[in-house]
Amino acid sequence: MIVAEQKPVEEIRQVIAPYERVLLLGCGTCVTVCGAGGEHEVSFLHSALQVAQARSGDGIHSFLEYTVKRQCDFEFLDLLTDKVKEVDAILSLGCGIGVQVVAERFSDIPVLPGVNTSFMGMAKEWGVWDERCAACGDCRLADTAGICPITRCTKGILNGPCAGTKNGKCEANKDMDCAWILIYKRLERLQQLEKMRRYYPPRNFRVIPRPRRIVKKADVKVGKDNG
Amino acid sequence: MDNYQVNRIKEASYGHSIIPPCQAACPLHMEIGEYVDLVAQGKVMEALQVIRDGNPFPSICAYVCTHPCEDACRRSQVDEPIAIRALKRFAVEFGGDRMIELEAVTTQSEKVAVVGSGPAGLACAYYLRKLGYPVTIFEAYSEPGGMLRVGIPQYRLPREVVDTEVQRLTHMGVEIKTNTRVVSLDLLFDMAYKAVFITVGAHQGLRMGIEGEDSPGVIDGATFLREVNLGLKPSLGDRVGVVGGGNVAIDAARAAVRLGAHKVSIIYRRSREEMPASPSEIEQALEEGIETMFLVTPIRVKRENGHLNVTCVKMELGEPDADGRRRPIPIKGSEFNTEFDTLITAIGQAPQLSEDFRLRIGRGSTIQVDPVTLTTNRAGVFAGGDAVTGPATVTQALASGRQAAFRIDDYLQHRYPLADTGEKKSSLGELSPKTIEMIKKIERLEPPFLPPEARVNEFTTVELIYDWQSAVNEARRCLRCGMGAEILFQDKCATCLTCLRVCPYHVPYIDDAGSIQIPAEQCQACGICVAECPAKAIVLRKPYDRRHIDEELEHALKSAAESKSKPLIIGFCCQYGLFGTGALASLWREGKAGIWIVPILCVAKLEEVHILRAFEMGAEGVFIAGCGEQCSRENTAFWVLQRVEKVRKVLAQIGLEPQRLQTFNLRIAEADAAEALDNFTEQIGGLYLNSIIKQEVRT
Ligand SMILES: Cc1cc2nc3c(=O)[nH]c(=O)nc-3n(C[C@H](O)[C@H](O)[C@H](O)COP(=O)(O)OP(=O)(O)OC[C@H]3O[C@@H](n4cnc5c(N)ncnc54)[C@H](O)[C@@H]3O)c2cc1C
Ligand code: SF4
Ligand code: SF4
Ligand code: SF4
Repeated sequence: MIVAEQKPVEEIRQVIAPYERVLLLGCGTCVTVCGAGGEHEVSFLHSALQVAQARSGDGIHSFLEYTVKRQCDFEFLDLLTDKVKEVDAILSLGCGIGVQVVAERFSDIPVLPGVNTSFMGMAKEWGVWDERCAACGDCRLADTAGICPITRCTKGILNGPCAGTKNGKCEANKDMDCAWILIYKRLERLQQLEKMRRYYPPRNFRVIPRPRRIVKKADVKVGKDNG
Repeated sequence: MDNYQVNRIKEASYGHSIIPPCQAACPLHMEIGEYVDLVAQGKVMEALQVIRDGNPFPSICAYVCTHPCEDACRRSQVDEPIAIRALKRFAVEFGGDRMIELEAVTTQSEKVAVVGSGPAGLACAYYLRKLGYPVTIFEAYSEPGGMLRVGIPQYRLPREVVDTEVQRLTHMGVEIKTNTRVVSLDLLFDMAYKAVFITVGAHQGLRMGIEGEDSPGVIDGATFLREVNLGLKPSLGDRVGVVGGGNVAIDAARAAVRLGAHKVSIIYRRSREEMPASPSEIEQALEEGIETMFLVTPIRVKRENGHLNVTCVKMELGEPDADGRRRPIPIKGSEFNTEFDTLITAIGQAPQLSEDFRLRIGRGSTIQVDPVTLTTNRAGVFAGGDAVTGPATVTQALASGRQAAFRIDDYLQHRYPLADTGEKKSSLGELSPKTIEMIKKIERLEPPFLPPEARVNEFTTVELIYDWQSAVNEARRCLRCGMGAEILFQDKCATCLTCLRVCPYHVPYIDDAGSIQIPAEQCQACGICVAECPAKAIVLRKPYDRRHIDEELEHALKSAAESKSKPLIIGFCCQYGLFGTGALASLWREGKAGIWIVPILCVAKLEEVHILRAFEMGAEGVFIAGCGEQCSRENTAFWVLQRVEKVRKVLAQIGLEPQRLQTFNLRIAEADAAEALDNFTEQIGGLYLNSIIKQEVRT
């Protein structure tokens, strides 16, 4: 799941400053789950912007709230067509994808980000999220006991641990587990320690050119004689 | 709240409310959860209103109801049931029931006759009057009230209480003809009554069928109590035996003590566990020095030298019989003799009906009726109360009287009876062990009683009333069954699992299809998940959530806007437990600052947006006052503090000092709470002045 964090109110105020009527647009999927941009957070931001406006005496905004099921699909955005006509800008609390899809769907109106899309990860417990995947496009988890060194090792090295590991923690952050020690321990449990003894060559970034696109549908031609 | 949400909440029907088991068990189906909750808020007049809506004579039930609701109360799975009857008594006394006057206007022409002025007859008359019918009650005795007057002793039900209710009825226009025994129903129809309700009760004492039963000195319990209640003082002698194990037996024994008998023994053929009398009555009887002879039954009475020589036999318990109680079997050769001056037999009563009524009679000499319409074999004649059920209870009689009134109305209006199948069931199952484990155990508070020494000499009322604090605390124990959380918008639920993670009672779970379920029978209606759900998909079945808070907040803000006192401070304050009326309210009344209290039904339901809204509308400071560890729910303070931190962060970003938002614990000594609030007010005053000065410097 994508994990994001709401931007500070003052930053949001700056980006919306030129626009009088603003649609605060939530997303009912990932950012709802991570508590950054669902219906609840849309209301929260709305209230916060109102307080800021009332207290500072500057700002003449009027806000509309709405949350769609998912911002990253055009079809869900059709519901917004009428609302968009009533505003001067959209502040999307969806992830970076959402912002772009909304912008692509409504080409005549500024679409601004309300959250910082942070990573792909999981909820460790209520209110705590951890990164787990960098979407590198070349998954190596089979070799690393299901623990991703790209995201969980500070240096992202493929042949760890480095000399900076100490008591199972990382030299860059003493509260953070060293990913390579975690990998070692889990391989040990799985009796696959031989995987530690191999050398993994650097990854070939040419297999993952940007921007990426996945095409699942086959290029077929429907003709008279087939189907 | 955005319009989209408001509209959807409006669209969603709330017809799916769940009947809590207490309400289902009450023959009148009173809204118990509702009035208990109002008592917990200290809203005693509102509580009385709810009680009055569901019960024509709450003051009577408040004294003598056998409270089947308490037997059904789910709190007994945790510790002990809520003291529902005593709370009703509190609401009746403190809510000003005495002051209530009832009016009724006659809008119908058909006269209705009610035969018998027991609770069933009185209730029927009450509702018929409300429906606009002219009603006459015929009563054989000199005073109306039935068993309320001639059965239940005064020390349990003061006569003034019955008098007041009867007076109210007369005030409503009910005509009561006492000393008038109805012997023929034809006569009533000749007198132009269009419908008749028969509620003659069950007053005929059952006979034991033993030798010597008719000797002088042997009297049946109902007759004895009637004599006592009508002011006769039957002479009993020193030693009194009372045969039976029900409430009538206990009442007769306790009345005998009050009439001066020195040794009163209850003779019961089973053991204490099987006694049908209510355990608390038995307890009180024992406290008053009444002795018991269990597993004993009299088989012969002989009058000798002015005494009764009673031969008894000992019993043992055999196999359970049809009603599940173990059948007593005489032990051969265990006869023994004992002496009494008076023997009171209280083994049950049956209705006594005039032949001329020409009614079809069933088991135990009771009148046969259709259970839904209460019609008898004769057109226009309805029957209810003990005369139909055999000896039962006051509330059952009231419920049957109410049912009769509506069915008589159907009959007179030539309407097909609007099916009221009567039976209401609660769909709430048992609490799960893991939920029970998390529910705070809070001891049941009983109202005080007169000490036994003080009560045995007279017929004064034995049970006293709660004080405010005890009543409120007892009411706060209620689990609010069926009022809990519900995912109103399954399509909005993002299955984020927040509710599952934040619920202190482990209520939400993931079903086999991967959807979140919040089982109503486990939910404690704490409201935490409602406030935390990032999709705003959850509401409480009883709208004590953001809908209630929004409303209260807007109300307070409106009043604040009208008043000019500055600086404005908004206090979100727990409404349970009388805190709002203590230290806070006095501060507020004194108008120390422009403090406005927003009452919240537990601060766990307060959301960040409410706090922000207060600041938006000009509050210089906001405080949240909860009841600390006295909260009957779990984790309240934790969640309040989480939300406070979130708001403080935003305040800082906006340039407002985070200390403008504070939390207080109202549980600490009143003086401390007042001082803490004083300091806060002062601090806010300072911040306010600073901001004004800054503003002036700027301009
Ligand atoms: C000693 C005792 C203690 C009790 N304690 C409790 C208790 O604590 N809690 C509880 O819930 N229940 C209690 N009960 C039971 C309760 O009182 C009865 O179930 C209830 O009163 C039945 O009401 P009713 O209207 O059907 O009949 P009743 O109350 O019996 O009233 C019937 C009335 O009809 C009158 N009547 C009879 N025949 C005629 C006629 N032909 N013409 C005119 N009038 C007539 C009678 O005089 C009487 O006044 C007790 C009963 C007794 C006897
Ligand atoms: S806990 Fe409250 S709502 Fe539940 S059964 Fe008892 S009195 Fe009724
Ligand atoms: S907290 Fe709300 S969105 Fe999350 S699982 Fe529960 S009901 Fe669904
Ligand atoms: S209202 Fe409270 S008890 Fe009920 S499900 Fe939500 S968090 Fe659990």
